[in-house]
Amino acid sequence: MNSAAPSRDLSPHAALTVRRVYFRWLTALAVACGAIMIFFPFFWMAVTSLKTAPEIQRVPLQIAPDHWGNLSNYIEVFKRAPFLRFMLNSAIVASIAAVSSLVVSSLAGFGFAKYHFPCRDAFFLAIVGILMVPFQSIVVPLYTWVNRLGLIDTYMGIVAPDLVSVFGIFLMRQAIEMIPNDYIDAARIDGCSELRIFFSVILPSVKPAMATLLIIKFMWNWNELFWPLIVINSPTMKVVTLGLVGFTNMYFIEYNLLTAAAVVSILPILLIFLTLQRWVVQAVVMSGLKG
Amino acid sequence: MRHWLRIAFPKSYMDRQQRAGFLFVLPALLFFGSVFLLPLAQSVMYSFYRIAPGGASQFVGLRLYEKVLTDSTFWTAIKNTIQLLLMSVPTTVICALAVALGLNRIASLKWRNVWAAMYFLPFATSLVAAALIWQWIYDPVYGFLNYALSFVGIPPQKWLQSLFQVRPAIAVVSIWVRIGFDTMIFLAALQSIPEQYYEAASIDGANPVQQLRHITLPLLNPQILMVCILELIFNFKMFDQVYATTQGGPASASQTVIMLLYDTAFKYFRFGDASVMAVFVFITLLAVTLVQWRIFRKPVEY
Repeated sequence: MNSAAPSRDLSPHAALTVRRVYFRWLTALAVACGAIMIFFPFFWMAVTSLKTAPEIQRVPLQIAPDHWGNLSNYIEVFKRAPFLRFMLNSAIVASIAAVSSLVVSSLAGFGFAKYHFPCRDAFFLAIVGILMVPFQSIVVPLYTWVNRLGLIDTYMGIVAPDLVSVFGIFLMRQAIEMIPNDYIDAARIDGCSELRIFFSVILPSVKPAMATLLIIKFMWNWNELFWPLIVINSPTMKVVTLGLVGFTNMYFIEYNLLTAAAVVSILPILLIFLTLQRWVVQAVVMSGLKG
Repeated sequence: MRHWLRIAFPKSYMDRQQRAGFLFVLPALLFFGSVFLLPLAQSVMYSFYRIAPGGASQFVGLRLYEKVLTDSTFWTAIKNTIQLLLMSVPTTVICALAVALGLNRIASLKWRNVWAAMYFLPFATSLVAAALIWQWIYDPVYGFLNYALSFVGIPPQKWLQSLFQVRPAIAVVSIWVRIGFDTMIFLAALQSIPEQYYEAASIDGANPVQQLRHITLPLLNPQILMVCILELIFNFKMFDQVYATTQGGPASASQTVIMLLYDTAFKYFRFGDASVMAVFVFITLLAVTLVQWRIFRKPVEY
């Protein structure tokens, strides 16, 4: 598993090397055991979703399902609840939130990084200070606003507080600051307008940051529960987290169905995550913000 | 004021450029002003008013604060939240640190990525799904945990249905979800420490423990601080896991502050009381962040 270890790190203390190699192997083993423990609940979820109702109630417990190809729970889940609709709703909401915050954040990031208008630093500090405002402490007035504007049970109502993200502004500002001012000045000399500079010079140079923001924002909004729970009442407007909670409340002992529903609800995001993991890790590392 | 006038009525090219910059920032400012600052001010305002179901409101001063702060359910929620925090924050941070140190020592990049991805996987999962999986593992009769414990001779436990085990059980869910996130932050920080520090230390005869204590940990200080604050905030705002599993039960044993806030506002529609809690949550988190900032903040030189 770790074949490179012995050949690497040939320290001057030859006597210690053997001990080091053992230590390395032990570390690798511990890390692997931990990872498997962390992974186990996923495995257990997947396995349970392939079992029938009598199978999950078998005593003593049996790990493997009788038939690995038993997908009847999945069919049943889609029959009992409109999970496709839930996923569509989630996808729409998360996409709007991601794209909107990408547009607004990159504009703001550009403004904060490359211009000197009055109060610029004060404005930036104020925006970063927003991170200290927990969403839960503004939720009641926000709800009354959404209610008054007739946005209950609409996509607009769900995305309203997620249209812009502080994290996004922070991230884009950081990325745009790296672009040399000479590029911008050169474009100005060529007669570009400021907006044109934004589209032709800035955006092409910060594609990695843009991808990072899109993905992380999509993930956050796909997994969001608290706000949708408040603004959504009608079954057809439910997002996938809400659908899953409703499903749990209705079929609370049929874990073979519940785990299948859970798999369905997290599979799209896990696939996105696994293929684009590099960007997600970068987003986390960039600041680990989002309070 | 003069600056603003010049931005409103630009005379020179530079003025126009400044105006462009301000206009780029404006949408974000308007958004945060209307969606965060205005509601925050309203939250504070609501906490001084009693709002009747019809919509009529009456100024009651600090009466609502008195009511909420002398209410035993509120203090139960606070106590539960603090207990959850004490269980999950240190555990998550310490485990994540250990995992990051371990991952950092794995030489094969391929395997390191595989293990890291496994630790990170729960982070991509919604808390609702995570809670559901764990609820099934915790199931008193058919759950895997009791099955596994039966091999060591421990009789079946009730976990989420027990007054005393429900909080640790929920804390485990948070730990499980958050370890990967913290690990990634620590791992990136570890990889940015120059290798020469360790070489110099081992030439001076420092053993690995001393290296950890005198090089790694001090250099990780800023990240440890940041992760502690993030975890504190995350766990203080705990809602999804509780809502999806116990809904605060059994007998309020897992009632958290945000759970109570949600119930007060959107189950009983007592917006005034909920706003008092909202103000409380805001002030607490602000204070905790500032205090932790002051205690931990030390100049770090690479």
